[in-house]
Amino acid sequence: MIDFHLDARSGVAPYLQIVGQVRQALLLGLLSEGDKLPTVKEVVAKVAINPNTVSKAYRELEYLGLAAAKPGVGTFIIRSLGDASLAAHAPLQQELRTWLIKARAAGLTEPGIDAMFQNTLRESAEEEK
Amino acid sequence: MIWLTWRQFRAQAIAIGALLAVATIALVITGLEMHHSYAADLAACTPQGDCDSTFREFQNSWMPALGLIQLFLIVTPALMGIFWGAPLIGRELETGTHQLAWNQTVTRTRWLAVKLAGVGLVAVATAGILSYLLTWWAGPLDQIAGDRWQAMTFASRDIVPLGYAAFAFALGATLGLLLRRTLPAMAITLAVFIGLQILVATTFRPNLLPSSSATFPINESIASQVHGIEIRHGAEAIYFVGLPVPPGAWVMSAPPIEDASGQVVGTGAHPDCFPGFGPAAGAGGAKSVGPRIEQIGACLASDNLHEAVTYQPASHYWPLQWAETGLYVVLAAALAGTCFWWIRRRRN
Amino acid sequence: MNAILRAQALGKKYGRREALTDCTLEIPPGHVVGLVGPNGAGKTTLLKIACGMLAPTSGRIEVLGEEPNGAPAHLAKVGYVAQETPTYASLTVADHLTLGARMNPRWDAKLASARVEQLGLDPKQKAGKLSGGQRAQLALTVAVAKRPELLILDEPVASLDPLARRGFLRHLMESVAENDTSAILSSHLVSDLERVCDYLVVLVTSRVHLAGETEVLLAQHYRLVCTRRAESDLPPGLDVIWAEHSDRQSTFVVRTEAELPTGDWSAEHLELEDLVLSYMERAAAPARRTTTPTGDAR
Repeated sequence: MIDFHLDARSGVAPYLQIVGQVRQALLLGLLSEGDKLPTVKEVVAKVAINPNTVSKAYRELEYLGLAAAKPGVGTFIIRSLGDASLAAHAPLQQELRTWLIKARAAGLTEPGIDAMFQNTLRESAEEEK
Repeated sequence: MIWLTWRQFRAQAIAIGALLAVATIALVITGLEMHHSYAADLAACTPQGDCDSTFREFQNSWMPALGLIQLFLIVTPALMGIFWGAPLIGRELETGTHQLAWNQTVTRTRWLAVKLAGVGLVAVATAGILSYLLTWWAGPLDQIAGDRWQAMTFASRDIVPLGYAAFAFALGATLGLLLRRTLPAMAITLAVFIGLQILVATTFRPNLLPSSSATFPINESIASQVHGIEIRHGAEAIYFVGLPVPPGAWVMSAPPIEDASGQVVGTGAHPDCFPGFGPAAGAGGAKSVGPRIEQIGACLASDNLHEAVTYQPASHYWPLQWAETGLYVVLAAALAGTCFWWIRRRRN
Repeated sequence: MNAILRAQALGKKYGRREALTDCTLEIPPGHVVGLVGPNGAGKTTLLKIACGMLAPTSGRIEVLGEEPNGAPAHLAKVGYVAQETPTYASLTVADHLTLGARMNPRWDAKLASARVEQLGLDPKQKAGKLSGGQRAQLALTVAVAKRPELLILDEPVASLDPLARRGFLRHLMESVAENDTSAILSSHLVSDLERVCDYLVVLVTSRVHLAGETEVLLAQHYRLVCTRRAESDLPPGLDVIWAEHSDRQSTFVVRTEAELPTGDWSAEHLELEDLVLSYMERAAAPARRTTTPTGDAR
C-alpha cells in the first residue's frame, strides 16, 4: 500500500502533492492497475492532514482518469502511466546506479547528489524550451 | 452521573465506612458493658437509699471516654463539611475537570444535584448513625447528670448533629463553588462553622423559646435543699447554689438574693446571720456548706428575701433540638439553592 | 445542512474588559476550522461560548443550528476538549470510558476501546500518571466516542512535544474522517494548524480579522514588491492589508477576489503563517489600517 507524505514548505498545494505522489508511484511501478488506494481514513491516520485534502486528491485522480471510486469498496487505480515500468528501463537504471557509485566515490553526499540532479534537470528543461 | 459521583467519592466512602464500623463496634461493646455495670450499681445502691457516691464514682470512671466521644461527634460534621464539601465542586473547578464533566450529555443542574444529594446524604447519615450510637451509649451518664443542656451534650445528641452535618457540607460545597479553590474553601468553612455554632449556642438556643422563672423564698426549708452558699463581689452578693429547680431544666441565670423591692442584699445587711463574714472578710467565692446553711436560711427567713431563677424547662429540650436542626437545615437548603442558582447563572 | 457555527455581533464583556467584540462568523459544515490568534485574543472565550460553558453578553450565536444552552440534546452533538485537556487524575483510563458510557446515550464503546488499544494506553493506568500526550489522547477519545457532530478543541497541542503533537493530530483526523465530524481547534501557532485546517479564522484583540477557506484565502492574497509608492498609487480593487516602505522599495500585502491585475511589481502568494502575521500586525497597528476587516470569503 502506498504511503503519502506532506511537504509543508514546498509551496505546492497539499492535494496536488498527493496526486504527484500517486503519479510517481505509478511511474516507478510501485502502483499498478487494479491496486487499491488507501482509504481517506487510513491516509489521515498516518499523515495528519485534512481528510478533504485526500478526498480532493482522489477526485483529481478520477478526473485525470487514473483512478475510479467503487462505492462501499474503495478507490482503485484504473490504468498505468505510459508503459513505464522498471523492467522496461532496467538498463537506464543500471547506468544510474553506476553513476551514483562514481558520485559517492567523488565525495558527494545525498543532498549534494539531489541538488545536482534537480539543477541539471531544470537546466535541461530550460534548454528544451 | 450516579456512577461518577460514587467513583469520585469511593475512597472517602470506604474510609468512612471503616470508621463507622470501628466506631459502632467500639461503642456497642463498651456501651453494653457500661449499661450493664450501671444497672448493677443501681441495684446495689438503691436499697441503701444513697446512690450519690456510687454515681459519682461511675461518672468519674466514664467521663473521660464520654468527653472524647462527644468531641469526636462535634468535630465530625465540621470535618465532613471541609473534606467532602469543599472539594466537591471546588476541586473540579480548580483542576478544570468540570469542563470534561459538563460536556457529557448531562445537564449542569443534574450534575450538581447528584453530587450534592449523593455525598450530602452520606454525610448526614454518618452524623445520624454516630449521634444515635452516642445518645444510646451515654444514656446512663446523662441520667446521672440529669442535664442534657450542657453545650457539648446538647450538640452531640439526638438530631442536631444531622443539621450540623447538612449545613457544614452545604457550606463547604458552596464555598468551593464560589471560590473555585479547595484550600481557602476548607479554611473558611471551618471558621464559619465554628462561628455559627458559638452564635447559635449563645443567642438562638437560649432565646428562641420563652424561659420560665421560679422564685424561691429564702427560708430554712429551701436552705436545706441547696448545695451551698456562695458569697461574691466582696460580700455584696449572696447566692444559694443548687436551688431546687424542676428536674432537667436548663438554668440560664441565677441572680443573687434580693429583697422584696428587688435590691441585692449583701452580708452586711444581715450581719447576725453571717458571723465572720464582714465586708472585710473574704473576696469572691467564700463558700459554706453543711448545717450552717439551714441556720442561715432560718435566720434570713423573716426578711422576705428571695432568689429568682430563669430556666428553660425540660419540656423545651426536644422543641429546641428540632428548632436548631431546622435552622441548620434551612441554612443548608439556602446554600444548596445558591449553588444551583450560581451554576445556572454561568450559563445564561 | 446547518452551518456549524453562526455568530452575529457576538460579544463578551467581563466588567469593563472586552473579551470578544462584534464577532460575526458563518462557518460552513464539513471543515476542520483553525482558530488562530495571539494569547489573550479571545479564542478560549469564543470556544467556551460555542460549547455552552459561557453565555455571551451581546449578539447571538448558533452552533449546529441551535443556541448552545446546555440542553442534553445539544451537548450530545458537540464534543469539547478544554485547554490542558483535563482528565480526572485519580480515575483510570477504563474509568474514563465508563464515565463516557454512563453519561452519554450515544456512546460508542467499541470505538472507544479500539482507540485506547490503538493508542497503547493501559486501561488500568490512572490518568494522573499518563504523560501529557497520553492525557490529551484520552480526552480526545472521550470526546470522540460520544459521536458528536462537532468537535471543539481549545489549544489541544500547545503543551505537547512534537511527537505527541503529531500523534494527536493523526488521531483527530482519523476521527474526523471516520465519523464525518467537523472540528474547530484553536492555537496561537499557525504551524500547528496548517496541516489539518481547511478553514481559518484569525482572532486578534477580541475581534475577527479574517475568516475563510484556507485555499481561497491563500489564492486571494499576494505580496507585491515594487518601487516606492503610496497605497493610493495601487490600482483599485486591491485591499491593502499591510504596507512596508523603505527609501526605495515598497512591499504590500494585498487581497483581491478577482484576478490580480498586471503591474510593475513582483507578485507572489504568501505562506499561511505570513498571511496570518500580516493580519495580526495590522490589528496591532490600527493607525495604519485602511479598511475595517470584513468577514468571511465564500
